[in-house]
Amino acid sequence: MSNRMVKTGWGDRLILAAAIALACVWVAPLFWIFMLSFKPNAALMARTDVLFAPPFTLKNYADILGTSQVFRWLLNSAIVSLGQTFLTLVIASLAGYGFARTTFPGRRILFACVLAGLAVPEQAILVPLHRLFADLDMHNTYSALILPKLAAPFGVFLMAQYFRGIPVELEEAALLDNASRLKIFWRIILPLSVPAQATLGIFTFLNAWNDYLWPLVSASKSEMYTITLGLASSQSNFAQSEGIGYLMSQAVFAGLPLFILYLFFQKYIVTAVAGTASR
Amino acid sequence: MRLKTLAASLVVITLATGSALCAAQAKTEITVARFFGACDADYGKAVDASKAHGECGIITTLINEFNATNKDGIVVKPQIAEWGPYYDQLSARIVAKDVPTITVMHESVLGDYVARKLVEPLDDGFKSVGISTDQFSEQAKKGTQIGGKTYALPFDTWSWLWHINGNLMKKAGLTNADGSVTLPQSPEELLAQARKFKAATGKAYLGWPAADTSANFRNLVTLVAQQNGSLFAANGKQIDMHSKPARNALELMNTLYAEGLIKPNMDYGAANQAFINGDVGVHIVGTWTIGDFVDASEKADSPLKGGYSVVPFAKIYAKKAAFADGHSWVMLKGGAKDDKTRQAALTFMKFLWDRDYEWARTGHLPANSTATARDDFKKLPFRSNILEISSIGVSVPSNVPRQRAVEAIVGEEMVNMLLTKKPIDAVQKSAEERVNKLLASVR
Repeated sequence: MSNRMVKTGWGDRLILAAAIALACVWVAPLFWIFMLSFKPNAALMARTDVLFAPPFTLKNYADILGTSQVFRWLLNSAIVSLGQTFLTLVIASLAGYGFARTTFPGRRILFACVLAGLAVPEQAILVPLHRLFADLDMHNTYSALILPKLAAPFGVFLMAQYFRGIPVELEEAALLDNASRLKIFWRIILPLSVPAQATLGIFTFLNAWNDYLWPLVSASKSEMYTITLGLASSQSNFAQSEGIGYLMSQAVFAGLPLFILYLFFQKYIVTAVAGTASR
Repeated sequence: MRLKTLAASLVVITLATGSALCAAQAKTEITVARFFGACDADYGKAVDASKAHGECGIITTLINEFNATNKDGIVVKPQIAEWGPYYDQLSARIVAKDVPTITVMHESVLGDYVARKLVEPLDDGFKSVGISTDQFSEQAKKGTQIGGKTYALPFDTWSWLWHINGNLMKKAGLTNADGSVTLPQSPEELLAQARKFKAATGKAYLGWPAADTSANFRNLVTLVAQQNGSLFAANGKQIDMHSKPARNALELMNTLYAEGLIKPNMDYGAANQAFINGDVGVHIVGTWTIGDFVDASEKADSPLKGGYSVVPFAKIYAKKAAFADGHSWVMLKGGAKDDKTRQAALTFMKFLWDRDYEWARTGHLPANSTATARDDFKKLPFRSNILEISSIGVSVPSNVPRQRAVEAIVGEEMVNMLLTKKPIDAVQKSAEERVNKLLASVR
């Protein structure tokens, strides 16, 4: 018994050591980015491998905050990300519930069509999507930034699979008590699906916050830029050489809201992702 | 009494609002789509372009200055986009009928937009505001005039230069009696000097960003043009990678790289670093880095201290030639909604034209020959060395469509040749097939 414990202990330690090593490998470039963001551009034009020696500067961050529209871009990103997240959750949950729990003619074919959407890359539909919104004269609006992303096959699939795992007896009991479908969904199924909702919400929010391609072609007025697009527009043509410090500070600045979000919801996020993964 | 006060207040408010509205209506707003970055923190309120530095600083200040000084009630609103996907966004805007009044455009791209009938000819407009096309430099004329019409206001000419570390050259014994650097004048001399340099200094002669597709393509265009050749057929619809000049150029590059005479595996940023740190003798890059390298060379501990100079791409073959391109300002169709806006745009263009010298402080050569003739321009570092670019510059012909994509394909194949040792025959074949397929697909 004790031998087994010792063996397990060593195994755990090895796994822990490997995890730490992998974490270091993963964190190293992020740490590098963070440190370079405090270095002057001129110094980085010559060397980018000196992290701890001076000179240091806060000018890169001052330049970001001095960009007149940066807070507007943050607000735009927040509106677009939250809007996309909320609407995706509503649509994916309802659609997922429909596919998981109701029967109607063509359900399987329709579900297959939704799943087929997983195989269609965003770039493949970019041109027709752009033309559609151009014809509707909707570019440079929040609607244009949010609506195209609401067709989320992954979300529907994830929610449908999760709902299928919830015991059907719970619904049958509620049906016997004369509860409507909507009531069952709202009062029973939705509260039970919080881990899946959280996972889908996190992924949707991250994708929306980091999205670049669609905002690039849809938002041409700087007041409608999201933070990714706005910060990129402020880079000089040769930022990879003459503006490295500024570039790195932009990366830190754009990622900061997500980092703060993670700090606040860390426990919940980990539980949600782990819970969904284990299902 | 209170009623009278209230009535008087209402009258004042109405008059004030009315006059404010009239003033707003009298303004003519034009939009200017551009790259070059944003630098509000340093130049957001600056209005004296003569005190600004760098591309972003100077163009930002020029626009501020125009907004502050023009008497015609014109308001220029910049619309800044990232440089990399700039043309993708511009195309998307054209489709969405959200066309800016004025657009910055590379001259190498202009022909493509003209062929698609998206650009307004500007000859009459220029005459109306006093811009004389006779003042365009030769290279600027080549870049902006297509089929006898002028489609853009040239802003500058930029080119591929040899930035030289004279200190290392001296150490390698590659200097003349007068102290000037000995430059190669044939492929054999280039190889001999590069080998001598490496033997003497232990460093690579060239700091050529071999992992950079644009740099590779521009070097190839230069070396082919120096042999009186051209990569493209007269009609612009085909590329010929199997010509003798193209083969010679590829073989020369391959030899230089294989022998370690080009510092290996460098992208654009790494090549700049290598030059600043004194790791290479010659760095082939554009006009825009002159200011940065001058600044670096003025530092006491710089390997470039007292030894930095810059010249046009060395004449390796029969003829002097160097890849050149330029930034220009165009008016896309549908951008100016009425005559008043169009006239406002032309007025702003005239302002930019008259201030071309300020822009030339970025390192680019002026497109306006009167700016080139100014004494203060001639006093700028090394400008006299590179003035001949205006006459020896060579661009990809304007009738070649999709030049950015062509550059990417050929450059990518050359990266394969240099970095992954793809055989030259295979590089020629695949580059030619890919580009010709692209060109054939253009309607």
